[in-house]
Amino acid sequence: MNSLERIMAAVNFQAADRTPVIAQVFGHAATLADVSLGDYVRDGDLLARCQTQALQRYEYDAVFALMDVNVETEAIGSSLTYRTDQYPVVKTHILAEGAGLNKLSVPDPNRDGRMPELLKAARNLRKEVGDDVLVVGCVLGPMTLTIQLMGAETALFLAIDEPEQFARLLDFAAEVVIRFGVAQLEAGAHLPMVFDPSSSPSVIPAPFYREFVQARLKRVFEAFKQAGALANWLHTAGPAVPILPYYPQIGVDIANIDFCVDPPEAMRTLPTTCLNGNIRPLAFVLSEPEEIADESSRLLRAFAGRGGFILSSGCEIPPESRPENIAAMVQAVGRER
Amino acid sequence: MNDFEFDLLVESLLDGDQNNSVLETRRLLDAGAGRKQIITLGIESAMQQLDARCTAEQFNLLEIMLCGRAVMEVMKELYPPGAPAPETKATIVLASLQGDVHDLGKNIFKMVLTATGYRVVDCGKDCPLEKLIDAIQRENALAVGISGLITTIIPQARRVRDKLIERGLGRVKTLAGGAALKQATAESIQVDFVGQTAFDGARYLDQLTGSKR
Repeated sequence: MNSLERIMAAVNFQAADRTPVIAQVFGHAATLADVSLGDYVRDGDLLARCQTQALQRYEYDAVFALMDVNVETEAIGSSLTYRTDQYPVVKTHILAEGAGLNKLSVPDPNRDGRMPELLKAARNLRKEVGDDVLVVGCVLGPMTLTIQLMGAETALFLAIDEPEQFARLLDFAAEVVIRFGVAQLEAGAHLPMVFDPSSSPSVIPAPFYREFVQARLKRVFEAFKQAGALANWLHTAGPAVPILPYYPQIGVDIANIDFCVDPPEAMRTLPTTCLNGNIRPLAFVLSEPEEIADESSRLLRAFAGRGGFILSSGCEIPPESRPENIAAMVQAVGRER
Repeated sequence: MNDFEFDLLVESLLDGDQNNSVLETRRLLDAGAGRKQIITLGIESAMQQLDARCTAEQFNLLEIMLCGRAVMEVMKELYPPGAPAPETKATIVLASLQGDVHDLGKNIFKMVLTATGYRVVDCGKDCPLEKLIDAIQRENALAVGISGLITTIIPQARRVRDKLIERGLGRVKTLAGGAALKQATAESIQVDFVGQTAFDGARYLDQLTGSKR
Protein backbone atom coordinates (compact mmCIF):
# COMPACT_ATOMS: atom_id res chain seq x y z
CA MET A 1 0.00 0.00 0.00
CA ASN A 2 1.47 3.39 -0.89
CA SER A 3 0.90 6.67 0.92
CA LEU A 4 -1.87 7.88 -1.35
CA GLU A 5 -3.76 4.58 -1.07
CA ARG A 6 -3.31 4.65 2.70
CA ILE A 7 -4.74 8.15 2.97
CA MET A 8 -7.70 7.35 0.74
CA ALA A 9 -8.35 4.25 2.84
CA ALA A 10 -8.53 6.49 5.90
CA VAL A 11 -10.85 8.92 4.11
CA ASN A 12 -13.15 6.02 3.20
CA PHE A 13 -12.86 4.24 6.56
CA GLN A 14 -11.31 1.20 4.91
CA ALA A 15 -8.62 -1.12 6.26
CA ALA A 16 -4.99 -0.13 5.68
CA ASP A 17 -1.52 -1.46 6.46
CA ARG A 18 -1.11 1.32 9.05
CA THR A 19 -2.54 4.68 10.04
CA PRO A 20 -1.37 7.41 7.65
CA VAL A 21 0.75 10.19 9.09
CA ILE A 22 0.94 13.72 7.68
CA ALA A 23 3.30 16.19 9.27
CA GLN A 24 2.21 19.72 8.34
CA VAL A 25 5.75 20.59 7.35
CA PHE A 26 5.69 23.86 5.43
CA GLY A 27 8.48 26.34 6.25
CA HIS A 28 10.24 23.67 8.28
CA ALA A 29 11.23 22.08 4.96
CA ALA A 30 13.26 25.25 4.26
CA THR A 31 14.84 25.21 7.72
CA LEU A 32 15.80 21.58 7.23
CA ALA A 33 17.46 22.35 3.88
CA ASP A 34 19.20 25.42 5.33
CA VAL A 35 17.31 27.63 2.90
CA SER A 36 15.93 31.03 3.82
CA LEU A 37 12.19 31.09 4.39
CA GLY A 38 12.01 34.28 2.32
CA ASP A 39 13.42 32.41 -0.69
CA TYR A 40 11.37 29.28 -0.05
CA VAL A 41 8.05 31.10 -0.32
CA ARG A 42 8.99 32.82 -3.58
CA ASP A 43 10.50 30.00 -5.61
CA GLY A 44 8.37 27.05 -6.66
CA ASP A 45 11.33 24.95 -7.77
CA LEU A 46 13.10 25.50 -4.46
CA LEU A 47 9.97 24.82 -2.46
CA ALA A 48 9.39 21.54 -4.26
CA ARG A 49 13.03 20.49 -3.76
CA CYS A 50 12.87 21.23 -0.03
CA GLN A 51 9.57 19.38 0.31
CA THR A 52 11.01 16.36 -1.49
CA GLN A 53 14.06 16.34 0.76
CA ALA A 54 11.87 16.57 3.86
CA LEU A 55 9.76 13.68 2.55
CA GLN A 56 12.88 11.59 2.03
CA ARG A 57 14.06 12.36 5.52
CA TYR A 58 10.85 11.76 7.43
CA GLU A 59 8.96 9.31 5.14
CA TYR A 60 5.50 10.59 5.96
CA ASP A 61 2.52 10.35 3.62
CA ALA A 62 2.04 13.82 2.04
CA VAL A 63 3.91 16.81 0.66
CA PHE A 64 2.68 20.39 0.50
CA ALA A 65 2.74 22.97 -2.27
CA LEU A 66 2.06 25.70 0.26
CA MET A 67 3.77 29.03 0.79
CA ASP A 68 2.01 31.17 3.37
CA VAL A 69 -1.34 32.84 4.01
CA ASN A 70 -0.60 35.88 1.86
CA VAL A 71 -0.37 34.41 -1.64
CA GLU A 72 -3.94 35.28 -2.64
CA THR A 73 -4.07 38.76 -1.11
CA GLU A 74 -0.74 39.67 -2.74
CA ALA A 75 -1.98 38.48 -6.14
CA ILE A 76 -5.06 40.68 -5.70
CA GLY A 77 -2.99 43.75 -4.86
CA SER A 78 -1.93 43.85 -1.19
CA SER A 79 1.74 44.60 -0.64
CA LEU A 80 3.93 42.38 1.52
CA THR A 81 7.15 42.66 3.46
CA TYR A 82 9.53 39.74 2.94
CA ARG A 83 12.05 38.68 5.55
CA THR A 84 14.84 36.16 5.48
CA ASP A 85 13.85 33.93 8.36
CA GLN A 86 10.12 34.54 8.67
CA TYR A 87 6.99 34.23 6.58
CA PRO A 88 6.08 37.41 4.68
CA VAL A 89 3.61 39.76 6.30
CA VAL A 90 1.08 42.18 4.82
CA LYS A 91 2.42 45.73 4.64
CA THR A 92 -0.73 47.22 3.14
CA HIS A 93 -4.06 45.50 2.73
CA ILE A 94 -5.53 46.25 -0.68
CA LEU A 95 -8.92 47.15 0.79
CA ALA A 96 -7.42 49.23 3.58
CA GLU A 97 -6.27 51.71 0.95
CA GLY A 98 -9.77 52.70 -0.02
CA ALA A 99 -10.06 50.44 -3.07
CA GLY A 100 -13.62 49.25 -3.43
CA LEU A 101 -14.67 45.77 -4.35
CA ASN A 102 -15.51 46.93 -7.87
CA LYS A 103 -11.83 47.82 -8.38
CA LEU A 104 -10.69 44.27 -7.63
CA SER A 105 -10.47 41.46 -10.12
CA VAL A 106 -10.01 37.74 -9.66
CA PRO A 107 -6.30 37.05 -10.14
CA ASP A 108 -5.02 34.77 -12.87
CA PRO A 109 -3.16 31.91 -11.13
CA ASN A 110 -0.86 31.59 -14.14
CA ARG A 111 0.16 35.22 -14.02
CA ASP A 112 -0.41 37.10 -10.79
CA GLY A 113 1.83 37.40 -7.73
CA ARG A 114 3.41 34.19 -6.53
CA MET A 115 0.53 32.02 -7.71
CA PRO A 116 2.50 30.75 -10.77
CA GLU A 117 5.36 29.72 -8.46
CA LEU A 118 2.98 27.79 -6.24
CA LEU A 119 1.57 26.04 -9.32
CA LYS A 120 5.13 25.22 -10.35
CA ALA A 121 5.74 23.68 -6.93
CA ALA A 122 2.59 21.54 -7.26
CA ARG A 123 3.62 20.47 -10.77
CA ASN A 124 7.16 19.54 -9.67
CA LEU A 125 6.00 17.67 -6.62
CA ARG A 126 3.48 15.61 -8.57
CA LYS A 127 6.15 14.81 -11.14
CA GLU A 128 8.43 13.71 -8.32
CA VAL A 129 6.03 11.53 -6.33
CA GLY A 130 3.38 10.63 -8.91
CA ASP A 131 0.50 8.85 -7.26
CA ASP A 132 2.60 7.35 -4.51
CA VAL A 133 2.38 10.27 -2.08
CA LEU A 134 -0.43 12.80 -1.58
CA VAL A 135 0.39 16.20 -3.11
CA VAL A 136 -1.50 18.86 -1.17
CA GLY A 137 -2.05 22.38 -2.48
CA CYS A 138 -3.50 25.15 -0.38
CA VAL A 139 -6.05 27.92 -0.63
CA LEU A 140 -7.46 30.16 2.06
CA GLY A 141 -11.10 29.90 3.04
CA PRO A 142 -13.22 32.84 1.80
CA MET A 143 -13.52 34.22 5.33
CA THR A 144 -9.77 34.15 5.95
CA LEU A 145 -9.05 35.65 2.54
CA THR A 146 -11.50 38.49 3.17
CA ILE A 147 -9.65 39.27 6.39
CA GLN A 148 -6.35 39.17 4.52
CA LEU A 149 -7.73 41.72 2.06
CA MET A 150 -8.67 44.37 4.62
CA GLY A 151 -7.37 43.45 8.07
CA ALA A 152 -9.21 41.56 10.78
CA GLU A 153 -10.84 44.37 12.70
CA THR A 154 -12.02 46.24 9.62
CA ALA A 155 -13.47 43.04 8.15
CA LEU A 156 -15.25 41.93 11.30
CA PHE A 157 -16.77 45.33 11.99
CA LEU A 158 -17.88 45.50 8.36
CA ALA A 159 -19.60 42.14 8.78
CA ILE A 160 -21.70 43.60 11.59
CA ASP A 161 -22.20 47.14 10.28
CA GLU A 162 -22.68 46.40 6.57
CA PRO A 163 -23.42 42.70 6.22
CA GLU A 164 -24.48 42.90 2.58
CA GLN A 165 -21.20 44.46 1.52
CA PHE A 166 -19.32 41.92 3.60
CA ALA A 167 -21.25 39.11 1.90
CA ARG A 168 -20.28 40.48 -1.52
CA LEU A 169 -16.63 40.45 -0.45
CA LEU A 170 -16.97 36.85 0.69
CA ASP A 171 -18.45 35.92 -2.68
CA PHE A 172 -15.52 37.58 -4.44
CA ALA A 173 -13.10 35.73 -2.15
CA ALA A 174 -14.84 32.42 -2.88
CA GLU A 175 -14.41 33.04 -6.59
CA VAL A 176 -10.67 33.69 -6.07
CA VAL A 177 -10.34 30.55 -3.97
CA ILE A 178 -12.11 28.38 -6.54
CA ARG A 179 -10.04 29.63 -9.46
CA PHE A 180 -6.75 29.21 -7.58
CA GLY A 181 -7.68 25.79 -6.18
CA VAL A 182 -8.78 24.45 -9.55
CA ALA A 183 -5.52 25.71 -11.07
CA GLN A 184 -3.62 23.78 -8.38
CA LEU A 185 -5.53 20.63 -9.28
CA GLU A 186 -4.76 21.17 -12.94
CA ALA A 187 -1.08 21.65 -12.06
CA GLY A 188 -0.94 18.31 -10.29
CA ALA A 189 -2.11 18.67 -6.70
CA HIS A 190 -4.31 15.77 -5.58
CA LEU A 191 -6.32 18.22 -3.52
CA PRO A 192 -6.11 21.81 -2.33
CA MET A 193 -6.42 21.97 1.45
CA VAL A 194 -8.66 24.84 2.53
CA PHE A 195 -6.96 26.71 5.34
CA ASP A 196 -9.49 28.82 7.21
CA PRO A 197 -8.21 29.87 10.64
CA SER A 198 -10.27 33.07 10.69
CA SER A 199 -13.46 31.02 10.70
CA SER A 200 -12.47 29.52 14.01
CA PRO A 201 -15.11 29.80 16.75
CA SER A 202 -12.46 31.63 18.75
CA VAL A 203 -12.83 34.45 16.20
CA ILE A 204 -16.49 34.27 15.15
CA PRO A 205 -19.47 32.64 16.86
CA ALA A 206 -21.07 29.56 15.28
CA PRO A 207 -24.23 31.40 14.06
CA PHE A 208 -21.97 33.78 12.12
CA TYR A 209 -20.28 30.75 10.55
CA ARG A 210 -23.66 29.31 9.59
CA GLU A 211 -24.82 32.59 8.07
CA PHE A 212 -21.70 33.73 6.23
CA VAL A 213 -19.19 30.91 5.84
CA GLN A 214 -20.93 27.57 5.43
CA ALA A 215 -22.57 28.04 2.00
CA ARG A 216 -19.44 29.59 0.49
CA LEU A 217 -17.22 26.75 1.65
CA LYS A 218 -19.76 24.30 0.22
CA ARG A 219 -19.53 26.08 -3.12
CA VAL A 220 -15.72 25.94 -2.99
CA PHE A 221 -15.62 22.23 -2.17
CA GLU A 222 -18.18 21.35 -4.85
CA ALA A 223 -16.01 23.11 -7.42
CA PHE A 224 -12.92 21.24 -6.24
CA LYS A 225 -14.65 17.87 -6.45
CA GLN A 226 -15.88 18.69 -9.95
CA ALA A 227 -12.31 19.57 -10.91
CA GLY A 228 -11.06 16.21 -9.66
CA ALA A 229 -9.99 16.71 -6.04
CA LEU A 230 -9.48 13.32 -4.41
CA ALA A 231 -10.96 14.61 -1.18
CA ASN A 232 -11.99 17.86 0.48
CA TRP A 233 -9.75 18.81 3.39
CA LEU A 234 -10.77 21.63 5.70
CA HIS A 235 -8.35 23.05 8.20
CA THR A 236 -9.89 25.37 10.79
CA ALA A 237 -7.61 26.25 13.65
CA GLY A 238 -8.65 26.52 17.29
CA PRO A 239 -11.59 25.12 19.26
CA ALA A 240 -13.70 24.11 16.25
CA VAL A 241 -16.24 21.86 18.01
CA PRO A 242 -19.20 24.32 17.68
CA ILE A 243 -18.85 24.38 13.88
CA LEU A 244 -18.02 20.69 13.27
CA PRO A 245 -21.74 19.83 12.81
CA TYR A 246 -21.74 21.96 9.64
CA TYR A 247 -18.89 20.02 8.03
CA PRO A 248 -20.90 17.15 6.44
CA GLN A 249 -23.21 19.63 4.70
CA ILE A 250 -20.20 21.61 3.46
CA GLY A 251 -18.77 18.44 1.93
CA VAL A 252 -15.71 17.98 4.13
CA ASP A 253 -13.97 14.61 3.72
CA ILE A 254 -10.99 15.30 6.00
CA ALA A 255 -11.44 17.56 9.02
CA ASN A 256 -8.35 18.88 10.72
CA ILE A 257 -8.70 19.15 14.49
CA ASP A 258 -6.41 21.44 16.42
CA PHE A 259 -4.75 20.51 19.70
CA CYS A 260 -7.50 22.09 21.78
CA VAL A 261 -10.23 19.84 20.33
CA ASP A 262 -11.08 16.73 22.30
CA PRO A 263 -10.73 13.79 19.84
CA PRO A 264 -13.59 11.71 21.33
CA GLU A 265 -15.90 14.71 21.03
CA ALA A 266 -14.84 15.25 17.41
CA MET A 267 -15.42 11.55 16.70
CA ARG A 268 -18.90 11.74 18.21
CA THR A 269 -19.76 14.87 16.21
CA LEU A 270 -18.33 13.62 12.93
CA PRO A 271 -18.79 9.83 12.99
CA THR A 272 -18.30 9.35 9.25
CA THR A 273 -15.68 12.04 8.53
CA CYS A 274 -11.96 11.32 8.48
CA LEU A 275 -10.17 13.39 11.14
CA ASN A 276 -6.57 14.50 11.23
CA GLY A 277 -4.71 15.86 14.21
CA ASN A 278 -4.03 16.85 16.82
CA ILE A 279 -0.64 17.09 18.55
CA ARG A 280 0.10 20.52 20.02
CA PRO A 281 2.16 22.33 17.33
CA LEU A 282 4.45 24.05 19.80
CA ALA A 283 5.32 20.66 21.32
CA PHE A 284 7.42 20.02 18.19
CA VAL A 285 9.59 22.94 19.32
CA LEU A 286 9.54 22.62 23.09
CA SER A 287 8.97 18.95 23.94
CA GLU A 288 11.15 15.85 23.93
CA PRO A 289 10.77 13.08 21.33
CA GLU A 290 9.51 10.70 24.03
CA GLU A 291 6.63 13.04 24.77
CA ILE A 292 5.69 13.28 21.08
CA ALA A 293 5.87 9.49 20.82
CA ASP A 294 3.59 9.11 23.85
CA GLU A 295 1.08 11.61 22.53
CA SER A 296 1.12 9.92 19.10
CA SER A 297 0.49 6.52 20.68
CA ARG A 298 -2.34 7.94 22.76
CA LEU A 299 -4.03 9.30 19.63
CA LEU A 300 -3.50 6.08 17.68
CA ARG A 301 -5.11 4.12 20.52
CA ALA A 302 -8.04 6.57 20.69
CA PHE A 303 -8.81 6.05 17.00
CA ALA A 304 -7.84 2.38 16.77
CA GLY A 305 -11.38 1.04 16.81
CA ARG A 306 -12.78 3.59 14.41
CA GLY A 307 -10.35 4.21 11.53
CA GLY A 308 -10.89 7.39 9.54
CA PHE A 309 -7.83 8.97 11.08
CA ILE A 310 -4.61 10.59 9.92
CA LEU A 311 -2.04 11.24 12.61
CA SER A 312 -0.68 14.78 12.44
CA SER A 313 -0.12 18.00 14.27
CA GLY A 314 -3.06 20.21 15.24
CA CYS A 315 -1.80 22.96 12.94
CA GLU A 316 1.42 23.86 11.15
CA ILE A 317 4.54 22.26 12.55
CA PRO A 318 6.60 25.37 13.31
CA PRO A 319 9.62 26.01 11.04
CA GLU A 320 11.97 25.92 14.03
CA SER A 321 10.74 22.50 15.24
CA ARG A 322 13.19 19.84 16.37
CA PRO A 323 13.54 17.24 13.58
CA GLU A 324 13.72 14.41 16.13
CA ASN A 325 10.22 15.36 17.29
CA ILE A 326 8.76 15.06 13.80
CA ALA A 327 10.56 11.75 13.37
CA ALA A 328 9.06 10.56 16.66
CA MET A 329 5.53 11.18 15.36
CA VAL A 330 6.22 9.36 12.10
CA GLN A 331 7.86 6.43 13.86
CA ALA A 332 4.80 6.02 16.08
CA VAL A 333 2.68 4.75 13.19
CA GLY A 334 5.44 2.29 12.29
CA ARG A 335 5.12 0.68 15.71
CA GLU A 336 1.44 -0.08 15.06
CA ARG A 337 2.27 -2.90 12.67
CA MET B 1 -25.59 54.85 46.52
CA ASN B 2 -27.05 53.24 43.45
CA ASP B 3 -30.08 55.34 42.62
CA PHE B 4 -29.74 54.79 38.90
CA GLU B 5 -30.70 52.00 36.56
CA PHE B 6 -27.60 50.60 34.83
CA ASP B 7 -29.13 47.44 33.36
CA LEU B 8 -29.92 48.98 29.99
CA LEU B 9 -26.35 50.27 29.62
CA VAL B 10 -24.94 46.88 30.57
CA GLU B 11 -27.27 45.16 28.12
CA SER B 12 -26.38 47.56 25.29
CA LEU B 13 -22.66 47.06 25.92
CA LEU B 14 -23.03 43.29 25.93
CA ASP B 15 -25.00 43.50 22.68
CA GLY B 16 -22.15 45.52 21.19
CA ASP B 17 -24.65 48.26 20.37
CA GLN B 18 -22.51 51.38 20.46
CA ASN B 19 -25.32 53.82 19.65
CA ASN B 20 -27.58 52.63 22.42
CA SER B 21 -24.65 52.46 24.82
CA VAL B 22 -23.89 56.12 24.21
CA LEU B 23 -27.57 57.09 24.50
CA GLU B 24 -27.85 55.23 27.82
CA THR B 25 -24.69 56.90 29.07
CA ARG B 26 -26.10 60.33 28.23
CA ARG B 27 -29.36 59.42 29.96
CA LEU B 28 -27.48 58.40 33.09
CA LEU B 29 -25.33 61.52 33.07
CA ASP B 30 -28.40 63.70 32.59
CA ALA B 31 -30.07 61.96 35.51
CA GLY B 32 -27.09 62.83 37.68
CA ALA B 33 -25.08 59.62 37.72
CA GLY B 34 -21.33 60.10 38.24
CA ARG B 35 -18.74 59.05 35.70
CA LYS B 36 -17.12 56.67 38.18
CA GLN B 37 -20.50 55.08 38.89
CA ILE B 38 -21.08 54.57 35.18
CA ILE B 39 -17.70 52.91 34.86
CA THR B 40 -18.07 50.70 37.91
CA LEU B 41 -21.73 49.73 37.62
CA GLY B 42 -22.03 49.92 33.85
CA ILE B 43 -18.80 49.15 32.04
CA GLU B 44 -17.13 46.95 34.64
CA SER B 45 -20.35 45.06 35.24
CA ALA B 46 -20.63 44.35 31.50
CA MET B 47 -17.00 43.23 31.40
CA GLN B 48 -17.58 40.86 34.31
CA GLN B 49 -20.53 39.29 32.51
CA LEU B 50 -18.53 39.01 29.30
CA ASP B 51 -15.70 37.41 31.24
CA ALA B 52 -18.12 34.85 32.68
CA ARG B 53 -19.39 34.02 29.18
CA CYS B 54 -15.89 33.57 27.82
CA THR B 55 -15.24 29.98 28.69
CA ALA B 56 -12.78 28.09 26.54
CA GLU B 57 -15.72 26.77 24.48
CA GLN B 58 -17.58 30.02 24.03
CA PHE B 59 -14.86 32.61 23.69
CA ASN B 60 -14.95 34.51 20.41
CA LEU B 61 -13.13 37.65 19.46
CA LEU B 62 -15.99 39.20 17.50
CA GLU B 63 -18.29 39.45 20.52
CA ILE B 64 -15.55 41.03 22.62
CA MET B 65 -14.61 43.42 19.80
CA LEU B 66 -18.17 44.65 19.51
CA CYS B 67 -18.49 45.14 23.24
CA GLY B 68 -15.09 46.80 23.27
CA ARG B 69 -16.04 49.23 20.54
CA ALA B 70 -19.14 50.21 22.49
CA VAL B 71 -17.09 50.60 25.69
CA MET B 72 -14.66 52.90 23.92
CA GLU B 73 -17.52 55.07 22.66
CA VAL B 74 -18.90 55.33 26.18
CA MET B 75 -15.46 56.26 27.52
CA LYS B 76 -15.23 59.02 24.89
CA GLU B 77 -18.62 60.28 26.06
CA LEU B 78 -17.50 60.26 29.67
CA TYR B 79 -14.05 61.71 29.05
CA PRO B 80 -14.12 63.79 25.87
CA PRO B 81 -10.81 65.15 24.54
CA GLY B 82 -9.50 67.75 26.96
CA ALA B 83 -11.30 66.36 30.00
CA PRO B 84 -9.14 65.07 32.87
CA ALA B 85 -8.30 61.40 32.34
CA PRO B 86 -9.91 58.82 34.63
CA GLU B 87 -7.95 57.40 37.55
CA THR B 88 -6.27 54.14 36.61
CA LYS B 89 -5.02 51.10 38.52
CA ALA B 90 -1.62 50.91 36.80
CA THR B 91 0.12 51.31 33.44
CA ILE B 92 0.51 48.28 31.21
CA VAL B 93 2.60 48.25 28.02
CA LEU B 94 1.43 45.97 25.18
CA ALA B 95 2.96 44.85 21.88
CA SER B 96 3.01 42.23 19.16
CA LEU B 97 6.73 41.52 18.76
CA GLN B 98 8.81 42.06 15.66
CA GLY B 99 7.83 39.71 12.86
CA ASP B 100 4.24 39.41 14.02
CA VAL B 101 1.79 41.77 12.37
CA HIS B 102 -1.28 40.22 13.96
CA ASP B 103 -2.69 42.61 16.50
CA LEU B 104 -6.29 41.56 16.96
CA GLY B 105 -5.54 39.66 20.17
CA LYS B 106 -3.44 42.50 21.50
CA ASN B 107 -6.16 45.01 20.69
CA ILE B 108 -8.74 42.89 22.50
CA PHE B 109 -6.49 42.76 25.57
CA LYS B 110 -6.02 46.52 25.34
CA MET B 111 -9.76 47.03 25.30
CA VAL B 112 -10.36 44.69 28.25
CA LEU B 113 -7.64 46.39 30.28
CA THR B 114 -8.86 49.89 29.44
CA ALA B 115 -12.41 48.94 30.33
CA THR B 116 -11.31 47.49 33.64
CA GLY B 117 -9.38 50.55 34.73
CA TYR B 118 -5.83 50.26 33.42
CA ARG B 119 -3.85 52.79 31.46
CA VAL B 120 -2.54 51.04 28.37
CA VAL B 121 0.46 52.08 26.29
CA ASP B 122 0.24 50.27 22.97
CA CYS B 123 3.54 49.76 21.15
CA GLY B 124 1.68 48.31 18.18
CA LYS B 125 2.59 45.34 16.03
CA ASP B 126 5.91 44.24 14.56
CA CYS B 127 7.52 45.93 17.59
CA PRO B 128 11.30 45.62 18.12
CA LEU B 129 12.31 44.49 21.60
CA GLU B 130 14.33 47.63 22.31
CA LYS B 131 11.37 49.87 21.53
CA LEU B 132 9.23 47.79 23.90
CA ILE B 133 11.74 48.01 26.76
CA ASP B 134 12.14 51.76 26.19
CA ALA B 135 8.38 52.21 26.53
CA ILE B 136 8.23 50.14 29.71
CA GLN B 137 10.97 52.27 31.26
CA ARG B 138 9.54 55.58 30.08
CA GLU B 139 6.01 54.80 31.24
CA ASN B 140 7.02 53.25 34.56
CA ALA B 141 4.84 50.27 33.73
CA LEU B 142 3.70 47.66 36.21
CA ALA B 143 3.66 44.97 33.55
CA VAL B 144 4.16 44.20 29.89
CA GLY B 145 1.87 42.08 27.76
CA ILE B 146 3.22 40.39 24.65
CA SER B 147 0.95 38.82 22.11
CA GLY B 148 2.03 36.21 19.58
CA LEU B 149 0.06 34.45 16.89
CA ILE B 150 3.11 32.84 15.31
CA THR B 151 5.66 30.60 16.96
CA THR B 152 8.65 32.28 15.35
CA ILE B 153 8.49 35.13 17.86
CA ILE B 154 9.08 32.79 20.81
CA PRO B 155 12.85 33.43 20.91
CA GLN B 156 12.10 37.16 21.28
CA ALA B 157 9.47 36.50 23.95
CA ARG B 158 12.08 34.54 25.90
CA ARG B 159 14.43 37.53 25.86
CA VAL B 160 12.00 40.05 27.35
CA ARG B 161 12.68 39.22 30.99
CA ASP B 162 16.48 39.27 30.57
CA LYS B 163 16.27 42.59 28.75
CA LEU B 164 14.20 44.02 31.59
CA ILE B 165 16.71 42.82 34.16
CA GLU B 166 19.58 44.32 32.11
CA ARG B 167 17.83 47.70 32.33
CA GLY B 168 17.14 47.38 36.05
CA LEU B 169 13.45 46.70 35.39
CA GLY B 170 13.31 43.22 36.87
CA ARG B 171 10.27 44.19 38.96
CA VAL B 172 8.11 44.50 35.80
CA LYS B 173 5.81 41.52 35.37
CA THR B 174 5.63 39.83 31.96
CA LEU B 175 2.42 38.41 30.49
CA ALA B 176 2.00 36.44 27.26
CA GLY B 177 -0.99 35.42 25.19
CA GLY B 178 -2.15 34.78 21.65
CA ALA B 179 -2.59 31.61 19.60
CA ALA B 180 1.10 30.61 19.61
CA LEU B 181 2.25 31.78 23.01
CA LYS B 182 -0.71 30.36 24.89
CA GLN B 183 0.38 26.87 23.89
CA ALA B 184 3.48 27.33 26.04
CA THR B 185 4.00 27.27 29.79
CA ALA B 186 5.13 30.48 31.47
CA GLU B 187 8.36 28.77 32.47
CA SER B 188 9.19 27.60 28.93
CA ILE B 189 8.99 31.10 27.49
CA GLN B 190 10.36 32.81 30.59
CA VAL B 191 7.41 35.01 31.45
CA ASP B 192 5.43 35.40 34.66
CA PHE B 193 2.03 34.51 33.27
CA VAL B 194 0.47 32.96 30.18
CA GLY B 195 -3.21 33.77 29.65
CA GLN B 196 -5.63 31.66 27.62
CA THR B 197 -7.93 34.67 27.21
CA ALA B 198 -7.69 38.44 27.67
CA PHE B 199 -9.74 38.11 30.83
CA ASP B 200 -7.18 35.72 32.35
CA GLY B 201 -4.58 38.43 31.89
CA ALA B 202 -6.82 41.08 33.47
CA ARG B 203 -7.45 38.82 36.48
CA TYR B 204 -3.74 38.26 36.93
CA LEU B 205 -3.12 42.02 36.89
CA ASP B 206 -5.96 42.58 39.34
CA GLN B 207 -4.26 40.18 41.71
CA LEU B 208 -1.06 42.19 41.38
CA THR B 209 -2.83 45.48 41.99
CA GLY B 210 -5.09 44.10 44.70
CA SER B 211 -8.18 45.12 42.76
CA LYS B 212 -11.49 43.37 43.25
CA ARG B 213 -13.45 42.16 40.22
